Amino acid sequence: MMSELRKDLVSGRWVIIATERSKRPDDFRPRGAAAPAPEAVGFCPFCEGNEGKTPPEVFSLRAAGTAPDSPGWTVRVVPNKFPALNPGPPPPRATQGVFQSMEGRGVHEVVIENPDHALELSDLPVAHIREVLRVFQLRIRAIECDLHYQYVQIFKNKGKEAGASLSHPHSQIVATPIIPKRVKEEIYGADRLFRVFKECAFCRILRDEEAAGKRIIVQNGQFTAFAPYASRFPFEMTIYPKRHSAFFTDVREDELLSLAGTLKHVLTRLKETVNDPPFNMVLHQAPNPALSLKGWPDIHLKSHWHLEIIPILTKVAGFEWGTGFYINPIPPETGAQFLRGD
Amino acid sequence: MKKKILLVEDERALCLLYEEELGKEYDITAVTDAEAALAKLGETAFDLIITDIRMPGKNGIELITQIMGLRKDIPIIINSAYQSYKDDFMTWAADAYVVKSSSLDELKARIKQLLGE
Repeated sequence: MMSELRKDLVSGRWVIIATERSKRPDDFRPRGAAAPAPEAVGFCPFCEGNEGKTPPEVFSLRAAGTAPDSPGWTVRVVPNKFPALNPGPPPPRATQGVFQSMEGRGVHEVVIENPDHALELSDLPVAHIREVLRVFQLRIRAIECDLHYQYVQIFKNKGKEAGASLSHPHSQIVATPIIPKRVKEEIYGADRLFRVFKECAFCRILRDEEAAGKRIIVQNGQFTAFAPYASRFPFEMTIYPKRHSAFFTDVREDELLSLAGTLKHVLTRLKETVNDPPFNMVLHQAPNPALSLKGWPDIHLKSHWHLEIIPILTKVAGFEWGTGFYINPIPPETGAQFLRGD
Repeated sequence: MKKKILLVEDERALCLLYEEELGKEYDITAVTDAEAALAKLGETAFDLIITDIRMPGKNGIELITQIMGLRKDIPIIINSAYQSYKDDFMTWAADAYVVKSSSLDELKARIKQLLGE
């Protein structure tokens, strides 16, 4: 069977679905095996009881009567102890010939998802995952009050190959004083397609995916998880809210629980199907509403927040860096089929 | 009495420089690898540890992780030529991360701060 070139609608990125090289989940298992934790000798700065080794918490969910920076928490947020970006207003950009630079201003926080080192996000009860998601919302709202921060990025690196230096389950929040290039590209793509479809491109994609059905992994009344048509990576997944919304902070209380259930389901299926692979989870959303509504007055109509989960099972190498093409050896229809458990 | 500092640094020239610069105020014990550092920790009650990261054998992050298993109360300063290790959350076991520079001012300031001087 010939390979197939597929185009991602919003980014315009092309992907080679190399069907003749198609593999089964078992083919990826050796790489998926968890590497020994670097902290295996017994110390972890994120574990309960070691609060003194982190900077003072900026937020926590904790038992009544327990003091900040002491045991008794369920979710804890701390600033990065040795951050690459420091808080504060961004100074003017400097130029050296044709080159531009600015001081590294921004926010970098770590969300410690639970006090138990061994409990991954997918192992937690749905109600606890909802609390982690709620904490994301609270921190985004708090950070976006400072209009210097134009974009808040939430992401999770799980496993050494995905960039995690510590196996204690955690996510990270980085807020930047500029709107990152990929976020802009997504906005421009959504804007272009809005003019074509006369509706949000993501809503249209979701409708078409649900109609096709073959890439759907799981859905409920509020969320749909599917393998994107032009998936770059084996078992790549995305979770879309069915209710159109540009900002993650707009997710309602009842929706948070539903999202937590969907997230637990897909992460558990990934763990079971591909032997607990390393992965990156990334939140896509519109920039700081206060600013983006000024620059893009109808961005709330065109942008559509979603979660992207990328298992690290293949290597990005010269061809991908040089061309922007990706080669995916597992068609998303096959990936979704395995993840559904058909 | 001078406070005791354990310096873990594989470059002997740097050990000599630090001993000269810091030795006026502190009692410096310099070792060139993690194993020697762990042996010294068993012999002497140090007030502070300064460690490099890239060293032959066990690296500085492995060393401080091991120290945490023995004693969590000794202030530790990571002193590396590389910023990139800041991405490793295990460096949080240390109390400060000072990138090596031709000036020792920042290192001296951090020592004073962590020793409460």
